[in-house]
Formats: sequence, structure tokens, C-alpha cells
Amino acid sequence: MRRSIKSMLTSLALGLGIAMFFAMLVPFAGNAQTSPPSAFGTPTDRQAAPPAFTAPAPQTAPLKAKGPFGTVLSWVAQTQQKMQRQLATAVKRLKSGNALGAGLILAGLSFAYGIVHAAGPGHGKAIISSYVIANEETVRRGILISFLAAGVQGLTAVALVGVMLVALNATGFQVNAWVKQLETVSYGLVFLVGLYLLVTELVRLWRRRQARYGAHVHVHHSAHGHHHHGHDHDHENCEACGHIVDARDLAGPLSWRKIAAVVLSVGIRPCSGAVLVLIFALTQGLFWAGVAATFAMALGTAITVAALATLALGSREVALRLGGGNTRWVDGVWTTCAIGGALLVMGIGFLMLTASLGPARPF
Amino acid sequence: MPHWTLRGYHVFLAAVLTGAGVFGLGSGAAAHPHVWATVRSEIVFGPDNKITGIRHAWTFDEFYSAMAIQGLDADGDGVYSKEELAPLAQVNVESLKEFAYFTFVRVTGKDKFLPLKPPVDYSIEYDDPVITLYFTLPLETPLDPGAKGVSVEVYDPSFFVAFGFAKERAVKIAGQAAGCTAKLDVPDPESAEAAKALSESFFSQLGPNSDYGSQFAQAVMVTCGAQ
Repeated sequence: MRRSIKSMLTSLALGLGIAMFFAMLVPFAGNAQTSPPSAFGTPTDRQAAPPAFTAPAPQTAPLKAKGPFGTVLSWVAQTQQKMQRQLATAVKRLKSGNALGAGLILAGLSFAYGIVHAAGPGHGKAIISSYVIANEETVRRGILISFLAAGVQGLTAVALVGVMLVALNATGFQVNAWVKQLETVSYGLVFLVGLYLLVTELVRLWRRRQARYGAHVHVHHSAHGHHHHGHDHDHENCEACGHIVDARDLAGPLSWRKIAAVVLSVGIRPCSGAVLVLIFALTQGLFWAGVAATFAMALGTAITVAALATLALGSREVALRLGGGNTRWVDGVWTTCAIGGALLVMGIGFLMLTASLGPARPF
Repeated sequence: MPHWTLRGYHVFLAAVLTGAGVFGLGSGAAAHPHVWATVRSEIVFGPDNKITGIRHAWTFDEFYSAMAIQGLDADGDGVYSKEELAPLAQVNVESLKEFAYFTFVRVTGKDKFLPLKPPVDYSIEYDDPVITLYFTLPLETPLDPGAKGVSVEVYDPSFFVAFGFAKERAVKIAGQAAGCTAKLDVPDPESAEAAKALSESFFSQLGPNSDYGSQFAQAVMVTCGAQ
């Protein structure tokens, strides 16, 4: 049972990854569906006044920040702005000119934008990292969760824009309002996931304490710093048995449910960057290019989040090794990670939830 | 009992972890603009060399513009008229109040911002592919900037919107203002004063309501009768 679920999730992640890759190629296919160039230009071209009569839109002076990190911060802000402008140009070029080149540029840009963009909040970077250290998740699972969450986020964005704008003919602002609602729901769910992690960990500690005082048996951990948390759910007080746990049993049973909870709590919130690109592509009559860009972006986001989750797991591994096999140390690190990680997930959920309940943004 | 001391240690480590996480969250939350706006501002003068208000023209990026006008072509003629965009302009200026209109006016050397009245004369114009929001923010009490001067900053503290003054003709003076000038003060990353300002406010910047955006603030300096 456990194995089949595990392999199911792995193949799902793999499938999503492959889908994201192919989605990056879609712009070319999408272009083939557009009508042949007309002598009068595309409908939007026709409405535009001749260039000589329109005043050019004002250009912003490069953003500059003060302070010791000013140069770096300025660079980050300017790069993001440049990338967004290039994205817009790439989408527009799909309609005219070299579609193959524009498609490749769009896919590449979206991917890069995803990597950079994930540095912002709401992509589950902090949540997933905290979650994997709070649970005895493996690196492979950390990567899996990151990809699943990014994939679901992409799907939410596509579904939201697709249903609301294509099917329901809603306004951009109604979509924005929905994004905000989903954000609030997402942060609320994140808080609950954190609370759940904390409660399970506290219950485990309490049970162990009972077992320790009841049976007068010491807790044993494997010398490799591995932990057998998962067994607690199955056989209560089993930690008192003191057996050495096989590495394959590391990830406890039923944790797929937890993984689904994390993936959904993060993924239910569409990335506002992706929503903007989708709407822009839609107004250009190239919704599919937007969908492709969204998944290319999700792939980029997933890589950043997975890298951070792996880094978090690596830090835990280092912390475990510092004790040199001392069981008390290992136990201490595990408990700290479990409680600290759970508190972090809760804290992030709470902070972001309160922030998202603030007044509606004008833009 | 040894496990009690261990527990205290856990709490300490957990606190460190939480702190690090919140720190990461705060700094991450910041560097993340979703909307870009090019700012052009007129400093409006009334009689007696007194500033009565600020007239803004904020031009948004193509992505935001496309989102904002989506579905607002009420008569379906493919043209987004001023009338069709009027409800959007109203929603925008009304919700701006909660954010202090992203406009921070103060007398040079003072900490307190001058109170502003709700926007008047607002409209949105669509000039394919971007929209521009026009509105006037009256000062509650008109004020003579004098030689000391008044500074006008435009920024979003949370940096969700990245405001930047236009490259050309970013500021001008409207009305009669003999001997008055308005010029843009671009932040200098290298200046010692700026570095000090940052380190002072550094810790207040962590968290979702951070003041990160103020580092990008550009100030318009308005002076009258200065040498």
C-alpha cells in the first residue's frame, strides 16, 4: 500500500515535470493556430493610432535603492523589471515575426523568471523547507513536494484565469479578488498544517515520556541519525522497543496525506506573477502561450524551492552529525527540528494570513 | 533530570529557527514587485506661493494594464474610453486611502507627514498598451515650502508596487510660484547618510508589513526663494 502510493506520487511528479517541459514547447504549436497575417494587421494593430500621433509612454528612470545593500537591491529590482518587459515583448512577438525564436525566448524567460520570482513569498519556499525539516522527509521527497506544489500552483492559475475570463467573461479585477481570497485560504491552511505538525510531535513526545517512565527503558536511535517517528502512529510506545530502523522506513506511513496537505495548502494559491502573464497572453489572443509560460515558470519556481528544501535538509544532516552519534544529541536535533519546523509553518501561516486580511490593494 | 535541560535547549534552538525563518520571510516578501508604475507629478501652487496639492500621473506596466482593463470595454467597440474606465479609477483612488496614497509629503527635517485630503479630479486613460491614472491630492493645509523646502516621496512601503519617477519631465510646477523649484532627488546607494538611515530602520523592515520599499523612494524637493 505504502509503496504503491509512493510510486504513484513519484510518477505524478515526474509526469508534471514532463508536462511542464512540453508546455514550454507549446508556444510554437499555439502560433500555428493563429490566423495568417492580414494586410491590415491584427485587430489590435488596426485600433492603434499611427505612431506619429501617440505620445510615447513615459519611461521610468532605473530604480535605485539606498543603504549598504543598495547596489544589490537596485540590481534585483531592475532585473525583475527588465525580465517582465522582455516577457511582454516575447508574447507580442509570437504574433508577428519569428515565432520559433520568440517561443524559445518566452519559454526561457518564463523559466528564469520563475527561478528569480520564487524568492518572493507565496511559493511555499519557507513553508516547504520548514515542513521537510519538521518531518523526517528525505531529499527526494523534498524535491517531490516542491515540484508538486509548483505544479498545482500553475494549474490553479490556469484554471482560475481560464474559467473566469474565458468561460465567465469576468473582469480582471474580479480575478484579482479571487487571487486574494485564495491567498487567504492558502495561508489559513498552512497555519493548520503547522498546527497539525506541532500537535503530532507533542503527542509523540508525551507518549514517549509515558513509555519512558512506565517501562524504564531508554530510547534508542540508529547511529546514522535516522529516526523512526512513523512507527509511533502504528505501534504506540514502540520507541521503547529500541530497535534499529532501516533507512527505507524513514518516511513514515500515511505521510502521503501530510504531503497532499502541504502541496494543496501551498498550491491553492495561484502565483500572481503567473496570473498577470496569463491575462496578458489572453488579451493578446495567445492564451496557450500564457499557459506554456505559466508551467515554464512553475518549473523554475520548483527548482528554487527544491534547492532551498534540500539546503534545509542538508543543514539538519550537518546538525545531526555534529553530535558524533550521541543518541541524546541526535534525539535533541530531531525534536528541535520537529517543533521548530512546525512552529515556523504555523508562524508563517499566521503572519501571512493576518497580512492578507488587510485592506484591499488598489493595484 | 537531563531531559529537562535538553528541553530548554530545544526551545532555544526552536526560537533561533523561528527567528531565522521570519527573517527570511520578511526579506523575501520584500524584493518582489508585481506592478510597476512610472510617476510624473505636478506640484500645484495656489496664491501666496503655497502648495495646495500634488497632481499625479501614474503610468502602469503592460501586464498590470492588461489585467486592469480586462472586461471593461462595456460597449464592445474595442476602445477603452475614459467613461468605461471611470469605475476603475474610482476603485483605485478609493482604495489608495488605506495606503496613504503612496505619497509622503513633509517639511524638510521633520518626521511627520503632512495630512492629505481624498483625491479629486481622477481618471484613467488607456493609451495602448498602458493605462495612466491621473488624480490630484490636495494638502489639508496649503503650505509655503520656503527656502527649507518640502519633500514629496512616492513609494509603496511593501514594494508590491515599484514606483519610479519618469526619466524625463518627472516633476513640474503648476500655478504661480515665483522663485520656486521642484527637482528630483535620486537616492545615492553610496551616501553615508542613506546607509545610516537603513541601519536604523533595518529591523523594523522585517515582516510582511515591512518598510522595504522606502529604500527605493525618490524624493521631489520643492523649495521657494532658495539660493
